[in-house]
Amino acid sequence: MNTIFQLVISGLLIGSVYALMSIGLTLIFGVLRVVNFAHGEFLMIAMYGVWAFSRLLGLNPYFAAIAVVPAMFLFGALVYRIVIGAALAKPHLVVVFATMGLSIFLQNVALMAMTADLRDVPPIFARSISIGGIFIKGELLLGFIVTLLCTVILQWVIKHTFLGKAIRATVQDGEAAKLMGIAVPRIFLITFAAGSALVGLAACVMVPLFSVFPTVGLNFVLIAFVIVVLGGMGSIEGALLGGFCVGVVQSVSAYYVAPAFGQLFFFLLFLLVMIFRPNGLFGQKGAATLGMNE
Amino acid sequence: MRGIERIGIILASLLLAAASLPAKAQENIRIGVLLPLTGPLAKNGLENWEAMQIARDMINERGGINGRKVEYLQGDANTPNAAISETERLITKDGIKITTGSFASPIAIAVSQAAERHGVFHWETTGAAEVITRRGFKHTFQVGAPARKYGQAAVDFILNDLAKRLNKPVDALKIALLWENRAFGKSVGDGIRAYTQSKGIKLAYDEGYDQTATDMTPIVQKLKDVAPDIVIAISFPNDAILFQRKAKELDFNVAAFIGVSAGYSSPDLRDSIGDSVVGICVADFPPKVNAAVLTPETKKVAEEFYKRYEAKLKRPPAGHAAAGFSAVWALFTEVLPKAKTFEPDELREIALKLDLPEGSLVNGSGIKFTNFDWPDDPKDAGQNLRASIGVWQWTKAGNEEVFPPELATQPPIMVPLPDWSKR
Repeated sequence: MNTIFQLVISGLLIGSVYALMSIGLTLIFGVLRVVNFAHGEFLMIAMYGVWAFSRLLGLNPYFAAIAVVPAMFLFGALVYRIVIGAALAKPHLVVVFATMGLSIFLQNVALMAMTADLRDVPPIFARSISIGGIFIKGELLLGFIVTLLCTVILQWVIKHTFLGKAIRATVQDGEAAKLMGIAVPRIFLITFAAGSALVGLAACVMVPLFSVFPTVGLNFVLIAFVIVVLGGMGSIEGALLGGFCVGVVQSVSAYYVAPAFGQLFFFLLFLLVMIFRPNGLFGQKGAATLGMNE
Repeated sequence: MRGIERIGIILASLLLAAASLPAKAQENIRIGVLLPLTGPLAKNGLENWEAMQIARDMINERGGINGRKVEYLQGDANTPNAAISETERLITKDGIKITTGSFASPIAIAVSQAAERHGVFHWETTGAAEVITRRGFKHTFQVGAPARKYGQAAVDFILNDLAKRLNKPVDALKIALLWENRAFGKSVGDGIRAYTQSKGIKLAYDEGYDQTATDMTPIVQKLKDVAPDIVIAISFPNDAILFQRKAKELDFNVAAFIGVSAGYSSPDLRDSIGDSVVGICVADFPPKVNAAVLTPETKKVAEEFYKRYEAKLKRPPAGHAAAGFSAVWALFTEVLPKAKTFEPDELREIALKLDLPEGSLVNGSGIKFTNFDWPDDPKDAGQNLRASIGVWQWTKAGNEEVFPPELATQPPIMVPLPDWSKR
């Protein structure tokens, strides 16, 4: 009996970390209708940032959030200015290839600058917490809390602030928003930068859990895509639920079927959702085509 | 005008001829070194390159080979495709007749293929795949041990050593086998399964996993439920780290843990998981061996090599670097001094005649190559039957060879491995 509890709890915890890393992607997709294929590399860069911060200053990697989150915001704004903004005006495929190119470019830059070595920080908590035979890793629990807080705050910002209103207006009807005096390109810029900043936050939670290396993004980007689609593209609470789903399905199926098939099962889940609920679990109808570039 | 030109040409050719005469007498022996110097394998490739450079410097300081200095020409073999083009460049543009390298099996397969196509002599240092010497090639010699022996060393260690230390009869031991499911992990895993079956042992757990897995919970939980005494794992660095962290998190304890080369032998492992690494055993090329097994002459060479390597890189060599040095040193001292023409066919004859007992090479190996005369199918040629392989263990200070006893620098420590709460 312990086994299934352990699997579900571990799955939920790791799932929350997956969700945190996907929220930025879903935000960008929800507003800009851009699938950022370089999302994994954004994560990789942010993780290197956290690692360097903690190694150079000898500080706990969680404190790196002070520096890495704003830095990733600026990095996102820069990428938007140079790559995304220009590509948005062109046919939709241009953005796809632009972000893919960016992904390969960033990977190779990291390989040259950092080599293929694995980078790690020492563990934060010496031991995992044990409750009635169930083991919980402190770092994961912290990630879980950060994810919940982040979801709640983000929801509040979108529902109750002027910026949030402007973002929602842009999503609902970009043309009308422009007529109402909303600077849509600026909303795009801010959203893209905020999405990158969220990746920075995710990196702070992930560095104590995972090694950093140039292709680390590849291990996570597919999971992030599945979560975003599962949750309903552009839905933040959907991403949270999608993360939980992927985490639990992965850990339970890998245990009861075979570890080599862990990924197979969440892609199966992904396919089923795509067939029966093409807008995701939480998505509104036609979400994927709203405001898309013709 | 014409006359002056002609005189100029004659003078120039005379000068050239004069310049080439003394040069011919002590022309360097040029060897192509193919290693991954950039890209994901670069770290190990560069360590190998350092070890090989030390060998070259040592032989040249001793006056070279019959008075001729050794000169290396580098090729950056960072992928199998690059390995082929770099090997061909060295052969066709620089006229190289001898190649060596190449650290990883996929690179070794590519380099030896290009070399064989041009009839060039290839002296493989560490590439381990069985196929390297099973393609009917005539000029490829693999000095290091083949892949299956890694796994066999792990199993022999359990049967001949650990079982006694754990006070359990072999058939009462629960052994788990965990392998990453790509080419390397699967082939080593297959080898271990076949070998344990031939010894009449049934594995308590035998499963593959995807090395890009981000969550090791299901694997560790399953192992916890099986409760094996010993785990044999074939992993890459990233998944090895994730596994060890998860084992600590879920308090999964075993009496002994044996990794097979790759991830568990990577010097980075200690940087990542700290002292949790102490006590883990690794079936691999020996990084160093008990000096008592070495011939007196080799012992001196070994001392010099380790001293120079540690001075240069500030840490002792990993098994593959020691193997790289051992192999090229044997080439410099056992093969090339006997050569007159340096043609590949002559070098092949010399290599096949080698009959060096164990302990002749710095890492404890001897040399005796197969020549289509081994009962395997397809037939092996150029495989070294006396390549040393064993088990070493991570210690607080570095690493120590623990098996087989004749190569061991100390007996294994921390058997049984203490629980995580005491590590």
